[in-house]
Amino acid sequence: MRNEKEVIELIEKNLSPLETEEKRAQNISVKFGPEDTIQALSFLKSKGYKQLSTISCVDWIDDNEFELVYHLYSYDDFINISVKTRIDREKAKFVTLKEVWPVAEFYERDIHDFFGVEFEGNDDLEELILENWNDIPPMRKDFDTRKFVNDEYEWRDYDGQKHTD
Amino acid sequence: MKEKFKRGKWKEFLDWAQNKSLSMLHYCTGCGAIELPPTMTSRYDMSRFGIGQAATPRQADLLLVTGYLSTKTLRRIIYTYEQMQEPKFVVGFGSCTINGGMYWDSYNTIKQLDKYLPVELYIAGCMPRPEAILDGFLELKQKIDSGEAKGYEEYEENIEFYHKNQEEVLGEVQRTQ
Repeated sequence: MRNEKEVIELIEKNLSPLETEEKRAQNISVKFGPEDTIQALSFLKSKGYKQLSTISCVDWIDDNEFELVYHLYSYDDFINISVKTRIDREKAKFVTLKEVWPVAEFYERDIHDFFGVEFEGNDDLEELILENWNDIPPMRKDFDTRKFVNDEYEWRDYDGQKHTD
Repeated sequence: MKEKFKRGKWKEFLDWAQNKSLSMLHYCTGCGAIELPPTMTSRYDMSRFGIGQAATPRQADLLLVTGYLSTKTLRRIIYTYEQMQEPKFVVGFGSCTINGGMYWDSYNTIKQLDKYLPVELYIAGCMPRPEAILDGFLELKQKIDSGEAKGYEEYEENIEFYHKNQEEVLGEVQRTQ
């Protein structure tokens, strides 16, 4: 069983992270360049971080970047590691992780649904949660929910007054 | 009285019998589902009003839409409703089905249930307590008894209106009716 410091040491010794941080007890955040990420993830898997809890995506619209966050957990160390990487927002493309964790296929489909990120190597990126979606992906920051709702749905009329007024 | 005369004695009898014995399809959407177990079980016990549960749409005549309805669920609700046998009644729960409620600015929840399905009555609240649900059920029973609950007939008469609205938000919808 390693503690947080030892895990960070292990990562810095074997991999080339851009930044490591001990967020709090049992929680580490590591940033990688996009080209090192998959290798880093499979390295961490071989060191006991067997569970991929989820993949999340953050839209940093001012930096014009998407941040992919891979949440790993080790049942030996009892530590969460968030492996973060940033990709370009315009050409939102990354490499699939499904060879390392088969379950990643569905997380990637989810992210493709809501952020429009393409994952090379994942052939099944059909809609998982949305249905017949024609607009820009709804979780992108430049998607205007209010405008979409006003265009798409009709408000109930309370004698000429909307309840949203 | 005139309305009752028009219904005919036989239909009147059927309505009287119908309102004493309703089978509720427990299809849950949103948060309202959590109010139904106390309504069903011994604390509030809706079976004393003759309302029981049904396992499948074809056995049920009461469809509860318990809370917010995403467009994806709306499709399933429509399939469910069209599978149910007549007479069938829809009850909308909570403010989400009335005008969107707290999800009014969500991109994937519908705002007015009665544009897509004929709603007999709404139970207001976010969420309605079991007392409010029972009150709503009693009103529904009265409406059935007096012959006012004719949502399924309206649905058939205005089927183009409903289908148009449904297709506006869902795209293509498979039809069983």
